[in-house]
Amino acid sequence: MTGVTGVTGVTGVTTLKVAGPGAMSPAAIAIGSPAERLRHAEHVMGTVFSFDIPAAAAPVLPQAVRWLHWVDATFSAYRDDSDVSRFGRGELTLAQCALELAEVIGECAAIRELSDGYFTDWPGGRFDPSGLVKGWAIERAAIMLSAAGFTGHCVNGAGDMQCTGEPEPGQPWRVGIAHPLRPSALAAVITGRDIAVATSGTAERGAHIVNPRTGRPATELASVTVIGPRAATADAYATAAFAMGPAARQWVESLEGYEALGIAPDGATWQTGGLGAYTTPG
Amino acid sequence: MRRVVLALGGTIAGLVMLLSFRTHMGSAAVAGVPGAAGKTGGTSASGTGGSAGSAGSAGSAGSAGSAGSGGGAAAAAPAPVSAGSGTGTAVTGNVIMTGYGPTQVQVTLNAGKIVKVTVLQQTDDGVNSQMIDARALPLLKNETLTAQSAKINAVSGASYTSAGYIKSLQSALDKARAS
Repeated sequence: MTGVTGVTGVTGVTTLKVAGPGAMSPAAIAIGSPAERLRHAEHVMGTVFSFDIPAAAAPVLPQAVRWLHWVDATFSAYRDDSDVSRFGRGELTLAQCALELAEVIGECAAIRELSDGYFTDWPGGRFDPSGLVKGWAIERAAIMLSAAGFTGHCVNGAGDMQCTGEPEPGQPWRVGIAHPLRPSALAAVITGRDIAVATSGTAERGAHIVNPRTGRPATELASVTVIGPRAATADAYATAAFAMGPAARQWVESLEGYEALGIAPDGATWQTGGLGAYTTPG
Repeated sequence: MRRVVLALGGTIAGLVMLLSFRTHMGSAAVAGVPGAAGKTGGTSASGTGGSAGSAGSAGSAGSAGSAGSGGGAAAAAPAPVSAGSGTGTAVTGNVIMTGYGPTQVQVTLNAGKIVKVTVLQQTDDGVNSQMIDARALPLLKNETLTAQSAKINAVSGASYTSAGYIKSLQSALDKARAS
């Protein structure tokens, strides 16, 4: 599966735990201020992608932004002329589509199998790999930044994100998990380096995730957050976990390198055994 | 004392926000603050996002309390807002039209830390708007007050408004620190 190459790209920067991003980035050293940050919000895929990157990485940003728009044009299930839509209608063969579509389909198939069908790229009988594509696009954008030599960056696609390295030397990324039921609360703050965080829930868009097995909206959880090394899989796992309901806890426990925080409609929370590693400050 | 104004550009159907940031000076106060003149708008902190279709005009009319006045009015904001007890730099966002309705926030900074966050305007024209405001804005407000200085880099879950809000907050802090 070609998509697995992304694992190396994202997680291969774990040396950051010993050396901060400033030390790792020649450009940042050159300007003498490794903590100088650049933020950018890009409208794409019907939402906003937020970049938090070293200021010195500005020249790479247009490439990452172009990538996101290309993914939107190619993979959107809402655009009739996208490769995904045309492939789904049988107008194009896989060989006629963008090469990356085969990669996405391969990843979707693997996760469909791993999740026992709770994740699918054919929801409701229509080809729509969106459950993976956003996280995958995030992950690839992060890889672009890393490949250019920048290590402290976070690409956040409307709440699903890939946080690489550290925002500043010695500091982990801190990601607040919105509490789906309590208006003024965070359910948790996830801290870590080289982590992806993805949340599925009903709070923003209502009950929109359908349990592929029943064909009905999933309602057994208010939200579930998946934390792990890769945004593509974290995004898809969160979707599958939400459809699973409480059974997701045991399922995520079985996934190497991934943890989850679940919140039930009555406010009860659960978490997988390893989540504590991400909730301890520092 | 200079004012930092967040010019937040709202959008429509996509419920998305594009942000840019500008630095403003209260005309009266600025005259007496040497070195403040260099802080003009459109610095690198705004990113490459280009024009943000910013709603509202850039600055609020009021000037901030002069530096060293020892705690006078921290901000003479156009909206009826208590600026908090502490001295500090008041950072006021423009009123922006988001998919959830008009929203405006004010943050008071002291030594680079948030000492007060106030939602100046919240929407009251719909259940959905109420939900979003109740969810995302106080959520971030509480956390920033707890963590002191926007220690959260991002929020997972409350996608749209929170992403825009925390960005604006963090950028305001960046701007404040840069000065």
